[in-house]
Amino acid sequence: MYYPVWELYFAGGGLLIAVIAVLHVFVAHFAIGGGLYLVLTERKAHKENSRPIFDYTKAHSKFFLLLTLVFGGISGVGIWFTISVLSPGATSLLINNFLFAWATEWVFFLVEIVALFFYYYRFDQMKYTDHQIVGWIYFFSAWLSLFFINGIVAFMLTPGEWLQTTNFWDGFFNPTFWPSLVFRSALALSLAGVFGFATSVFSKNRELNDKLLRYNASWLIIPLLITAPAGYWYLHSTSAEIQSLILFDSPEIRPFVHIIIWGGISLFLGGILMAAKLSGRIKKPLAIVLLAAALVYTGSFEWIREAARKPYLIYQHLYSTGIYKENVQELKNRSFLSAAKWTQNEQVENSNRLKSGKEIFRIQCSGCHSIGGPINNILPLTQKYGIYGMDSQLNGQGKMQKYMPQFLGTKKERRALASYIVKGLHGKKTATKGPGISAPNSTLKIPDFDPENSQYVLLAWNDLGMNYYSHTLPYIMFAPPGNNLNALLINRGPSPGIVTQGVKIKYTIETGLGDPGSQSRFWDYAPDLFSRDIDPGTGLSGFGINGTMHSNQTVFRARNVPVIPISKQQNFNPYPLYTLRAFDKESGELIAQTRTVAPVSHEMRCDNCHGGNWQGDADIAPNKKTALDILQVHDKNNRTDLLSRAKNQKPVMCRECHSDPKQASPGNSSGNPEILNFSASMHGWHANYLTGRNQPACFNCHPDSKQVHTKGFRGTHSEAFSCIDCHGTMEDHAISLLKGARRDGRDVGKLIKHLQPRMAESKNEIKPRDPWIQEPDCLDCHQDFKRPSLNATAFNSWTGSADKLYRNRNEISGKINCAACHSSPHAIYPAKNLLFKDSRDTVQPLQYQDNNKTIGTDNCSLCHKMQMGFNYHHDNMIKN
Amino acid sequence: MPAQELIPPPHTIPVHWGWLYFFLILTFYLHLLFMNAMLGISVIALFYEFKPGRDETSAALSRDISRKLIFFAAFAVNLGVAALLFLQVLYGQFLYVSSILMAVYWLGIVVLLLLAYYGAYVYNLHHEYLFLTRKFLVLGIVLLFLSVAFFFTNNMTLMLRPEQWTRYFHNPGGTLLNLNDPTLIPRYLHFLTASVAVGGLVVAISGRWKKNNAVKESQNFQNAGMKWFTAATFLQIILGFLFLISLPPKIILAFMGGNVLYTAVFVFTLSCSFLLLVLGALKKLWASTATLLATILGMVLMRDFVRSMFLEDYFKFEDLELSSQYPAFFLFITALICGVALIVYLCRKSLHPSGKES
Repeated sequence: MYYPVWELYFAGGGLLIAVIAVLHVFVAHFAIGGGLYLVLTERKAHKENSRPIFDYTKAHSKFFLLLTLVFGGISGVGIWFTISVLSPGATSLLINNFLFAWATEWVFFLVEIVALFFYYYRFDQMKYTDHQIVGWIYFFSAWLSLFFINGIVAFMLTPGEWLQTTNFWDGFFNPTFWPSLVFRSALALSLAGVFGFATSVFSKNRELNDKLLRYNASWLIIPLLITAPAGYWYLHSTSAEIQSLILFDSPEIRPFVHIIIWGGISLFLGGILMAAKLSGRIKKPLAIVLLAAALVYTGSFEWIREAARKPYLIYQHLYSTGIYKENVQELKNRSFLSAAKWTQNEQVENSNRLKSGKEIFRIQCSGCHSIGGPINNILPLTQKYGIYGMDSQLNGQGKMQKYMPQFLGTKKERRALASYIVKGLHGKKTATKGPGISAPNSTLKIPDFDPENSQYVLLAWNDLGMNYYSHTLPYIMFAPPGNNLNALLINRGPSPGIVTQGVKIKYTIETGLGDPGSQSRFWDYAPDLFSRDIDPGTGLSGFGINGTMHSNQTVFRARNVPVIPISKQQNFNPYPLYTLRAFDKESGELIAQTRTVAPVSHEMRCDNCHGGNWQGDADIAPNKKTALDILQVHDKNNRTDLLSRAKNQKPVMCRECHSDPKQASPGNSSGNPEILNFSASMHGWHANYLTGRNQPACFNCHPDSKQVHTKGFRGTHSEAFSCIDCHGTMEDHAISLLKGARRDGRDVGKLIKHLQPRMAESKNEIKPRDPWIQEPDCLDCHQDFKRPSLNATAFNSWTGSADKLYRNRNEISGKINCAACHSSPHAIYPAKNLLFKDSRDTVQPLQYQDNNKTIGTDNCSLCHKMQMGFNYHHDNMIKN
Repeated sequence: MPAQELIPPPHTIPVHWGWLYFFLILTFYLHLLFMNAMLGISVIALFYEFKPGRDETSAALSRDISRKLIFFAAFAVNLGVAALLFLQVLYGQFLYVSSILMAVYWLGIVVLLLLAYYGAYVYNLHHEYLFLTRKFLVLGIVLLFLSVAFFFTNNMTLMLRPEQWTRYFHNPGGTLLNLNDPTLIPRYLHFLTASVAVGGLVVAISGRWKKNNAVKESQNFQNAGMKWFTAATFLQIILGFLFLISLPPKIILAFMGGNVLYTAVFVFTLSCSFLLLVLGALKKLWASTATLLATILGMVLMRDFVRSMFLEDYFKFEDLELSSQYPAFFLFITALICGVALIVYLCRKSLHPSGKES
């Protein structure tokens, strides 16, 4: 950020240095090994008294001079010029800190030139022993050049103690100095053999060819075999993080690990083949192929070494962006554009959003990413994103994958960068709204109730108020259909009774939604997912879409009713109405009825970040493209193979690995402590990408925002509060879940490390919780059941056990569930249904009381047939 | 954006700047000798290749030059590397920026140099076979070298003008040059002409060393070489004057009495240049050579004084922070002494006639 950045498109991302460096290293290493080759081949000629070999050595040294002195020398300068313009900060650091290593290397470069000139141009004029001395001086000078450059190059990957001491010797003799030197020396000798084949095979002297076959083969093969253990030593001298990056984590490196192994094998086999007596017609092209294989082998080695260092140029010290690690903390809290010197825009405004984004891109991205070029082309990598998704990706970047740095700058600047990438580079227009859905005309009929004469009051509710179902088969299943319906039948009187005996309660879904099997693939895949056949229209607990409830001591229940929010007419209906009818078992008489919604939605905006488009009403859930991207990203980050399974019609069920108390599945963490319960994983991972936001972060998945149709948070609390008042911000929510997982012995370090609490002073203050079991406790705000102040918050105070949950709790008699009178969570009376704009969420208050308030408000006579004078069910029921 | 803010912060230096300055001047001086020789003799060869008629002297001169060019090129590049190294340590915060602003051309130098260098080898190895294409080959080599020199001159002058660097914001694509600098062309021409003068002297020395083998050719070489040398020196004085007056007034005044040291060096160097004219006309080879070596040293110093004056509002060496690395410096000095010793040894081993390989 102190230097101007050369704006490149196709050639960006380091293409120039990749090309010049690989070519130079290839030739330069040959310049070393080839030097020894010349001396020893000349000696061989002398010992065997062979004129052909002598002549060959002279001819080979001419080739050698033309290649290594000219191309090798100039390309070395080329590397230097290139790094100076692409990475000036790093170059300056290396040159100023290791000046005398470069200067010493230069001395030997000079000696090399003089020695090589004398070796070649005085070939015939010098005595054999003198000529050999000149050759040996050449070789040692060349090797010493390698020695000194090697220190500096190895330093970049493993600076070792230099990071603390900034001492020249600590930096030079760093952890990978010796393994790198051995590897490169071996490579140099092997390359001498490859080039030896290349020149000898084109000689017309048949006798020469044969003499040199096995000779060149041993030059190629023996040192090549040394590169294997040397490479292993090299790898294991790097840090654990770098090793992990090379072997597993870096998508850039993975193909090259295969290439280098196959390149080495090809060279080995090629060398053996060349040693055999084959005709020149085969050998000549084979020699060229060997050269190519050697170039590939060298190139992959250099590529792996460079990519393993990402995101640094000097590991743990200087990023590829030219930013120093020690400055990151300070830069995180301020405007990047004003901190960077070579930017024209100081602040992001509407008028300069794209230009600012472009400047930020140039500094923070273009060092590794080309635009439309072969190296890390940014275009396909960001194809799937809209601005929101791109911004969120930048938000989370570099926190859990180690090969990228974190974004530095303000939120506005991050957004500007996202806009530049999405609009400026991809040319995408502002997102069009999804297709509107036609909310079916509501012909809501409130059942009758006669306050004078009706004998029974039937109350009904759903467990959750907001509920999911994932409509992503055949790719993913993370939430099977399953709503829990509950009903309470009260026999009215001065001392009302809860009726469970002698009564049958039937539940029937509204028209058009009674055949969920036709709208969902759940039943097609149930045998694969749950290892049993399930009849279409029947849920996981055996209850059908319509049916009869079961009773226990107080309550009637129908568990896991498989409601699908798509009607036969392909209409989206996330609030299907159930009509519950209580019948006398003996007489079959209908004694009471009421209606309640069984909310279920499949609207999740995973596509904001995972790509894919809205498809239309019936398929507005995460669609195929989105689902496959989710799996691909999971594979990339966790070394799984979910994508290939899903593509082979074997849907992935998250709970196979991730335990989920909601679905009562143990998961299969099989000894991997990094596999957390589903909620902790989802929130823990995504929180890193969605920081600094309030409830809009929740809306990406939980369908409540203006962007979606469901608008699930609709009860009385939604008037004055948002999700975060009870559940915490995304970061806080995730921290509590991660700490809960840690409490269970899981490894959450990677996910929790970068999360900063916003509703607590420190992470220590946040209490751990198990999902679905430890939730906000209503009584923390409603102390003594009173109405709390408007800045009350229930975050960080959890129910100790499942029986304290609102949905499981009863009032003082232990017989009436809180939700029976107050309605389902998230839809507490008075609730408003914003999708249908009708009264389907307040059917019972309207039915029994002609209002939309809590059941029994100023109306004890609903059940008691008389007004009561004191608080019984809970404190503060009666308000004066 | 004020220019000062655009100058990146320099890194620390490993020894006192005086040592670095010493090595910069030394290596640049040597680089200049070889580079001038390389460019100078190729220009002279071009002249003889294109000269109508096929007289023996022209043919002999171009053949001789073709044998030497590759060697001068090798050492010019090698010493240039050393000079650039010390330049980057002392002036990196200016040089990196100007290099980036003209990145396309700066990297282009690598390609141009590679082509010119291989061209020189073709000229050398296939000299006898090239016939008609030879003159175009030399023309190509010369044009390539001239381009390289032009881009170098741009970079070396753009690095001195941070006030111009804001042009980057209109063109970040690496294709800026320093064409609006009034000193650019006079400087470029002055340096080119210097090359021709040095080239002429190289031809003359080459002729002098032939003395024992071919007396007539030796005489022709010396005559031709000294003519080139004298003519070029004459032109140099004029171009030097034009270069001087293209400089900002305060710099001119510094050489005219404003700064005692600068003025002394200027007077010394200018006197040497006039002396060169006399010695060249009198064809005094070794005296000319010695005086030229002194003149070039003076010019190198003056060039550096000009650089310091351009940058005096932004930078002085004392600003650089020292992070002492004298043991590593000692390593380099040791290597340098060993290296020079090895070179001397190599020369002695290789150059005195010995028995041939049987």
